[in-house]
Amino acid sequence: MSPAYVLKRIALIGYTLFVVSLIVFAITQILPADAAVMLLGENATADALAAVRVQLGLDAPVWLQYGRWLIGVLQGDFGVSMRTGQPVGPVLVEALGRSLLLALFAILLMLCLAVPLGIVAAIRRGKATDLGVSVTSYIGVSVPEFVSATLLILVLADWLQWLPATGYVPLTEDFARGLKHLVLPVLTVSIILIAHVSRMVRSELVDVLHTDYIRAARLKGLSARAVLFKHALRNALLPTITIVALDVGYLLGGVIVVEEIFALPGIGRQLIVAIQSRDLPSIQAGALIMASTYAIANFLADMTYAWLDKRIQYG
Amino acid sequence: MDTTAPILEVSGYSLDYATPAGFTRALDGVSLGIAKGEVLGLVGESGSGKTSLAWAVMRYLPAGAKESGRISLAGKELTAASPAEIDAIRGRRIGMVFQDPGTSLNPTLTLGEQLAEVLVRHRGLSRKDAWAEGEAMLARVGIQLPAAMMRRYPHEASGGEKQRVVIATAFACQPECILFDEPTTALDVITARQILDLFAELQDETNVASLYISHDLAVVSSVCNRVAVIHRGRIVEQGPIAEVFAAPRDPYTRMLLAAVPRPDRRVIETVPEPRADALLEVDKVSVIYGRKPFLAALLGRVNTQFTGNREITLAMQPGEILGIVGESGSGKSTLARALTGLHPFEGQIRFGGRPIHGIADMDRAYRRDVQIIFQNPDSSLNPRQRVREILSRPLELYGEPGRGADKAAIAGLLEQVRLPADFADRFPHQLSGGEKQRVAIARAFASNPRLVICDEITSSLDVSVQAAVVALLVDLQQRHGTGYLFITHDLNLVRQIAHRIAVMYRGDLVELIDVGDLAAGARHAYTRSLLAAVPAPLAA
Repeated sequence: MSPAYVLKRIALIGYTLFVVSLIVFAITQILPADAAVMLLGENATADALAAVRVQLGLDAPVWLQYGRWLIGVLQGDFGVSMRTGQPVGPVLVEALGRSLLLALFAILLMLCLAVPLGIVAAIRRGKATDLGVSVTSYIGVSVPEFVSATLLILVLADWLQWLPATGYVPLTEDFARGLKHLVLPVLTVSIILIAHVSRMVRSELVDVLHTDYIRAARLKGLSARAVLFKHALRNALLPTITIVALDVGYLLGGVIVVEEIFALPGIGRQLIVAIQSRDLPSIQAGALIMASTYAIANFLADMTYAWLDKRIQYG
Repeated sequence: MDTTAPILEVSGYSLDYATPAGFTRALDGVSLGIAKGEVLGLVGESGSGKTSLAWAVMRYLPAGAKESGRISLAGKELTAASPAEIDAIRGRRIGMVFQDPGTSLNPTLTLGEQLAEVLVRHRGLSRKDAWAEGEAMLARVGIQLPAAMMRRYPHEASGGEKQRVVIATAFACQPECILFDEPTTALDVITARQILDLFAELQDETNVASLYISHDLAVVSSVCNRVAVIHRGRIVEQGPIAEVFAAPRDPYTRMLLAAVPRPDRRVIETVPEPRADALLEVDKVSVIYGRKPFLAALLGRVNTQFTGNREITLAMQPGEILGIVGESGSGKSTLARALTGLHPFEGQIRFGGRPIHGIADMDRAYRRDVQIIFQNPDSSLNPRQRVREILSRPLELYGEPGRGADKAAIAGLLEQVRLPADFADRFPHQLSGGEKQRVAIARAFASNPRLVICDEITSSLDVSVQAAVVALLVDLQQRHGTGYLFITHDLNLVRQIAHRIAVMYRGDLVELIDVGDLAAGARHAYTRSLLAAVPAPLAA
């Protein structure tokens, strides 16, 4: 992995985010909402509206508005929320932190379960274990998160009363209670991830186990363990890394739904509130932050891939 | 050679694979023995069961395989051995060298790791000792900088270097027996020669009992003491090399030997008429692969360009067969791609006196006159089209209108390549490799071309099938007076069929020589080394 490759990838992220910023800004321009009307209400006079527009810089040409906004963003200033009058940045970053915690736990749980499940299914290919994992995965992939969330709440919170159904407590405030509140959202988000990734690991591993070099490793007299963990797994997990990074995209979408269901004040929930109240600076900032998260996740995946597979030298 | 106490002994061994349609016999009553220091060549065509025998010896059989008979290693019965015993024998007492070092090495582990792990596993060395021993092994198999090679990944080594690493791994634990499964088939002629020399050297030094599996009789005759000929799972003939090749008793062996290309047995008698107007003139044609320097610079890359052909100049007479030889990457196929408009080129081509400056000049008349046949009919024939559709396309494009659907025309084409007319209704997968290549040949001849480019068209075929395809090409050439640009890596074959030979090396045309003059000695050093590397034609 050459420094040039890393730099090139970083430059590519910058370019991607620039395009995203253009799109996000364009979309908020198209939205059928007048920020001045939103601020002053339906009954404001034309003069008052005009004054607010000048104050917000909305009378300037679109490209100038974009330029001002972009320069602000680059300085970490995402503008002021039209709903609360507070700076958008700090609020969203705090919300992002809660969402990332949720995503982190979900990914950890996924890695702990999906990879072993995939391996077991691949080794016992065609046997009952494989069939069990496959069928469960199919079900897991096909159930939408609002259904699985509802079922989980019904069973674990309502019937068994083991866990709180909704709400959020910061881990710093009360660690045990905070964790309890996270269990259901994490489970909900990770079900589809686990199902998807275990299927991926299984099929990749099955392919790798049929390659010439695995046969060669076996015929060198290596133990089954060495063949699997040293020779096969690394090659099988490589494509999985890319898939996990792509799943981050799903995760971001899923987080919006799950946070809404479990009343978890993360970035998804902030975004929904912002959209409902036509809070343009919050929408722009939220969308941009989500896009950045996705881009960075994919960047990390590419770096890991290049580190594990020395052949990678993207031109 | 003393064969009374064989190291590896196979007796009355039969093997059946389980398929949905029942059992298929892969090996049928095979008996052979290899003594210490002996090399037994196992020769057969694809599907003959030669590799199945290697898997059986290595105890690497699919579930549901049914076997009978015995396989023993120095008296130890392998068919009855437990999995733990087999693990201890594989790599330790029986080594194996595989066909393609490109696929038999793990792409994500260093070469050193893949060599050292065997020493750790079977000789109980520490990682550090194993690494040092591995370096010594690599030096032994002729790797120039063993310490650096240990740290490299497979993609950072050449095919020959990789095969040396595989060989070092096989010899690492001083096994009693080594199986070589076509170890030079995936390599270039000169590299293959070097690997064969290395093999002979290690063989002398270690006195291992070797089973050398190959389809190439010339190679077998140069490295083996004895040979066993296998056909449809049965050993049809077995004995010392000199005896079997000089006086083959079995009809199959005789057929196989007769099919091996021999430079002294010319299959083409005609000489193209020396005419003033050449059929094809290639004038300083260059092909450059890769991005334009400007774009490359923009992306921060120093040089992404690769010269496939560097100012190639040659001319062909009508009806001439011009052989093009060279190792992989020498630019043989690149020239074919340029001539057929598959890749842009610089320079000029003149066809029948008409100048062609680029792909835009290759009109319908040019494409009718210049046809190409590719190496692998599996990928050059559309698997979803019947032979009729495959052949009707060029007939419609280049023949008289409405001729494409003409049954008689298609039957005529098939008849030309000696296939029955009812093959028109078959799909490619219902044909054998040789039959598929005949269909590809028929497709090329559908437009009555004046020049046919044959790009390694026999290299995926068995030797007996190859002989038949070559005979067919010669017949068609004599019937239609077609010129061939015959691209191959098989020097013995091209010396049988071509009038002149163009030798290519790293994008350059280094020598253009009359086949008759080749025996007297080539002028260019590369041609000489190429000739020296080719396994000597069979003694008989």
